[in-house]
Amino acid sequence: MTCTDHQGEMLNAGVAPWWSVDSHSRSTAQPEAGLMAGERSDSGGSFSCLRGSAEWRAKRSEQVGGVADGVGGWRDYGVDPSQFSGTLMRTCERLVKEGRFVPSNPIGILTTSYCELLQNKVPLLGSSTACIVVLDRTSHRLHTANLGDSGFLVVRGGEVVHRSDEQQHYFNTPFQLSIAPPEAEGVVLSDSPDAADSTSFDVQLGDIILTATDGLFDNMPDYMILQELKKLKNSNYESIQQTARSIAEQAHELAYDPNYMSPFAQFACDNGLNVRGGKPDDITVLLSIVAEYTD
Amino acid sequence: MMNSHRAIESNIRTSPLNAEVVQYAKEVVDFSSHYGSENSMSYTMWNLAGVPNVFPSSGDFTQTAVFRTYGTWWDQCPSASLPFKRTPPNFQSQDYVELTFEQQVYPTAVHVLETYHPGAVIRILACSANPYSPSPPAEVRWEILWSERPTKVNASQARQFKPCIKQINFPTNLIRLEVNSSLLDYYTELDAVVLHGMKDKPVLSLKTSLIDMNDLEDDDYEENDDCGMDNLNKKLSSTALREGPNNGYFDKLPYELIQLILNHLTLPDLCRLAQTCKLLNQHCYDPLQYIHLNLQPYWAKLNDTSLEFLQARCTLVQWLNLSWTGNRGFISVAGFSRFLKVCGSELVRLELSCSHFLNETCLEIISEMCPHLQELNLSSCDKLPPQAFNHIAKLCGLKRLVLYRTKVEIEDYDVIASMIGAKCKKLRTLDLWRCKNITENGIAELASGCPLLEELDLGWCPTLQSSTGCFAKLARHLPNLQKLFLTANRSVCDTDIEELACNCTRLRQLDILGTRMVSPMSLRKLLESCKDLSLLDVSFCSQIDNRAVLEFNGSFPNVFIKKSFTQ
Repeated sequence: MTCTDHQGEMLNAGVAPWWSVDSHSRSTAQPEAGLMAGERSDSGGSFSCLRGSAEWRAKRSEQVGGVADGVGGWRDYGVDPSQFSGTLMRTCERLVKEGRFVPSNPIGILTTSYCELLQNKVPLLGSSTACIVVLDRTSHRLHTANLGDSGFLVVRGGEVVHRSDEQQHYFNTPFQLSIAPPEAEGVVLSDSPDAADSTSFDVQLGDIILTATDGLFDNMPDYMILQELKKLKNSNYESIQQTARSIAEQAHELAYDPNYMSPFAQFACDNGLNVRGGKPDDITVLLSIVAEYTD
Repeated sequence: MMNSHRAIESNIRTSPLNAEVVQYAKEVVDFSSHYGSENSMSYTMWNLAGVPNVFPSSGDFTQTAVFRTYGTWWDQCPSASLPFKRTPPNFQSQDYVELTFEQQVYPTAVHVLETYHPGAVIRILACSANPYSPSPPAEVRWEILWSERPTKVNASQARQFKPCIKQINFPTNLIRLEVNSSLLDYYTELDAVVLHGMKDKPVLSLKTSLIDMNDLEDDDYEENDDCGMDNLNKKLSSTALREGPNNGYFDKLPYELIQLILNHLTLPDLCRLAQTCKLLNQHCYDPLQYIHLNLQPYWAKLNDTSLEFLQARCTLVQWLNLSWTGNRGFISVAGFSRFLKVCGSELVRLELSCSHFLNETCLEIISEMCPHLQELNLSSCDKLPPQAFNHIAKLCGLKRLVLYRTKVEIEDYDVIASMIGAKCKKLRTLDLWRCKNITENGIAELASGCPLLEELDLGWCPTLQSSTGCFAKLARHLPNLQKLFLTANRSVCDTDIEELACNCTRLRQLDILGTRMVSPMSLRKLLESCKDLSLLDVSFCSQIDNRAVLEFNGSFPNVFIKKSFTQ
């Protein structure tokens, strides 16, 4: 089973975030000049941060995370697919750090971030899905925005209680934010950030929030993900990082297993295509637990 | 002697009671210009607050604070304004930014982290007012911490600028940087400002010889016309001036000659001279000395009282520069209105950039009192409400109008362009930088309606598409074009460059930053055809690599070819 426009690469959970309050482990990075964003795969990007800076001692705060999956097809046009998704996530992160967002409006984060990409002198090109989650501690609500086929799961008591819906135009063509070269305007798929699905719901202590690109969900069905999450003993940073890593690793292995009936293969079969095997793809996993706020 | 000095010095540093506080800026509260779009995080002044994002990297990054202009390119444009007479030579500031810090301290150092083309900062000032105190301050004082003439810095690399600042006797959390970018090869970019200071007043103030020199300059600055005028009023009322006709050789000189000599004095000197004797008082008060009145250099002191003192002499004023003045309560609407009622009748040019005291009433007064006004600059007057601009319609003689960073309401730039094309047939310069919705229709109207256009800035106008032929149309209709900015218009292509080469041979400045569609070949044609070209910005043009730029530099040594970079 092959998927022509993605190259298989794995992302590891990795680098410690600046504010290690609780919960976040995220896909890797070499942090760039002072910025946090994780971006490692050929086409994925992610970020997570606590709104505010070190001087913020307020009890109220928001925690924001996001993943973006670059569309690999741009490679054929000499464009590095990770540039767009990585820059998108880094820009979201900057926005959040500077407080230029409304917690209950995660689509706003996407919209503003996308507009900022257009303000760059560098002529950025490419496209990407995006999934943003905002945890508002005061109201104990999670606000989400999802454009495309990345997504999130909320797991409570070993069961999935919330999940995002995939947005596809047609098979393997997710909704995507894009900046096209002028000669290709109108030909390249370009969805508005407003087209993102947005949901808001209450969360409880102990809820696990998993945000990931389609590389995970296409290769690992829910029960396997839940199995891994059960192994999460406590909410300290190392455990979460370890779990995120093992999920990503497992998905990566399954992706290259030609005999395995992956969710992606199952879906294809349901639609009349007789295939088996995993789907090699970039995998970005972001894992959080809703825990007590500690200083 | 030296030993005891050193001992005292070290006491201050190690004293636990008076610890040094180091802070990054909390907020940017005012500035004169920036490169980026108003609410954006890219290349805007807001980036100067907080911790650095880029430093110590060098390069052209979005996360830095960038002013709108650099070099002398804008002074060489058709739209360049003539300088005011009587500008003191030590006032060279072109732009400013004001930053607040959390805590008030007695400053010991101000560091500026510059990440691209450093060297623009020429003056640092501290304010005694605390912008976060709930009650308005009794007195607002600005003191120069450091000042120097613009000097060329040869590297474009990042640096931490650490000028030696003067000690002041009040705590501050409001710092102002003034910059002059005229010697820079490209836009300067600033990442952060660090304020070092003591919470409590240092017991001893140590002065080195270096600081003494700054003191001298500061005296120059402090004793401006204001002091002169206060004293003068007192002098006049007490008949301290010597009566009598004996003025020595001055009695022999023709009136006009003395006037001519006085023309060379700066305003403060003019006021001081007025106090010497009755004859010179008469000369110095002659309204002919106040035809050009540049009060911008004295923004830190100029207030309602100053305007009152000047009023009587300013009945013939034609050029008035009040840019940067009057903020933080220094000038009131009433004070400005009084002044303008006396002095507005002959006014031809009025500069009011960053004059935040202006409100709608002020614009109404201007439109009523200045019937001959030809030039009005309201740049960065962002507190003016949209309806205030309606009054400008009454100024029928306007030839130059600057509305940069104002809240004037414009829904549809195509409509504006259409009106301009219909009514302003003799228009020579037009700045539509960042006009979000102008399309090829507007451009067509401009092209056909304003054939005399020499300067057109269409930078960062994303809705213009080369495929509509709009740029080609511009080129064909505007043979007098000297400056054309198509910055960050990603659709500019070889055809457009070739049309410019064919039709706009007088072109001097061209900016095509960020397009992937222009090749070295078409640029070569342009360079060969436009012999007067002196500025060509091909930053982030993917087909134009450094090798191509080097080749062009070799073949066309008179052209400054700019190629900015991020890493």
